[in-house]
Amino acid sequence: MKMTNNIKVIGLGGIGSIFIDKLSRYVSFGETSKTKFNITLVDGDHYENKNYERQEFIYLKNKAFSKMEDLNGKFNQDTISLAIDKYVNESNINTIINDGDTIFLCVDNHATRKLVSDYVKTLNNCILISGGNDYIDGNVQVYIRDDGKDITPSLTEYHSEIDNPTDEHPEDMSCEELSNSAPQLYFSNLTVATIMCWVLYSLQQGKFDVKKPEIYFDIELMSIIPKTRIVN
Amino acid sequence: MTKKIYTATELTDKTNAELRQICKSLNIPGMSKKRKDIIVSAILMRQGGESASTPKEEGIKTTSIAPNNPYVASVADDKDKVMAATFTLNSVMTKPNAKVGDKTTTTIRVSCGASFGEFPVVGKTIAGVKNFLKEVLNISTMSSPLVNGKQVEETHVIVEGDEVEFLKPAGQKG
Repeated sequence: MKMTNNIKVIGLGGIGSIFIDKLSRYVSFGETSKTKFNITLVDGDHYENKNYERQEFIYLKNKAFSKMEDLNGKFNQDTISLAIDKYVNESNINTIINDGDTIFLCVDNHATRKLVSDYVKTLNNCILISGGNDYIDGNVQVYIRDDGKDITPSLTEYHSEIDNPTDEHPEDMSCEELSNSAPQLYFSNLTVATIMCWVLYSLQQGKFDVKKPEIYFDIELMSIIPKTRIVN
Repeated sequence: MTKKIYTATELTDKTNAELRQICKSLNIPGMSKKRKDIIVSAILMRQGGESASTPKEEGIKTTSIAPNNPYVASVADDKDKVMAATFTLNSVMTKPNAKVGDKTTTTIRVSCGASFGEFPVVGKTIAGVKNFLKEVLNISTMSSPLVNGKQVEETHVIVEGDEVEFLKPAGQKG
């Protein structure tokens, strides 16, 4: 199954801010520049100096607007088509995600992963690529809907911790909770972003192995492994 | 130039460093951290594959491909048809000195997240394997067991050809 050109990048933290830089460069040059991509950035958070050690921004403002301004200045003026300064929630998800989208979900909580995965399940055609990490390890899941059917398992099918999230949606978190988030390693964010780039490329080439749609990595073990997953 | 064909005994007598050097010369990747018996098996299999292709390339008839290699069988006397036949084993033999017909042990790939290994666990229950490997693979007590991608009970008995995974929770941050 090939990906479409309507791309949504949801979450521009440690993973998303790196991933969108690579994606923008990729679509701006060479063969891929001949295709028109509609890239939308979605994040309700503001970039602050405390994010400096892991996140790549040049403007102190809303992350989606900051990246749009930066990348459209650096590459083509329409590299990023739209920036939305909102968190995805139950009220706005149907205006942000459309049938036929390819979504890169780079958020930092399972509550949003479940919300997006459950919504994608209601669509006919959609590709959802979701990544997350802990300190030195993490994973990327690829959920593909084609013609109203699950081609790969949803984010929740194998992962009860996503299906029953114990964390909170960012809009429900206090300022203290937001600022006291667990420490992260920049290289783990970078690895998730890199695996998302690999997935994007193999989907574009029509060579993505739908039988192995979940990829784990561990930096200390120097290991990246795709895993067999079956739709129930 | 003809490459030396090592027997299983010769290989077993070598040190790990010597075996890795042989792997390098035979272009066998991924052996730097493997156990000795796995490296020996890999070399024996590679020798079988290479020697089977050599006569075809050079147009030479042969009576013996790898005489001491129990994993390779040859058919060499038929002038017109079969030159050689190589049987490749999908399972790793943990007894490289075993003769054909000897009892051997098959290893199973067991993983948890990005950590994995090949272990002789055929016939064991999932619960037993989880307990045996919990520290080696950093398996959480809450991890659900999967066999060939399907969720199974902890009483499930592992059979040859299975791929066992203990599901690691998804990364949360980003």
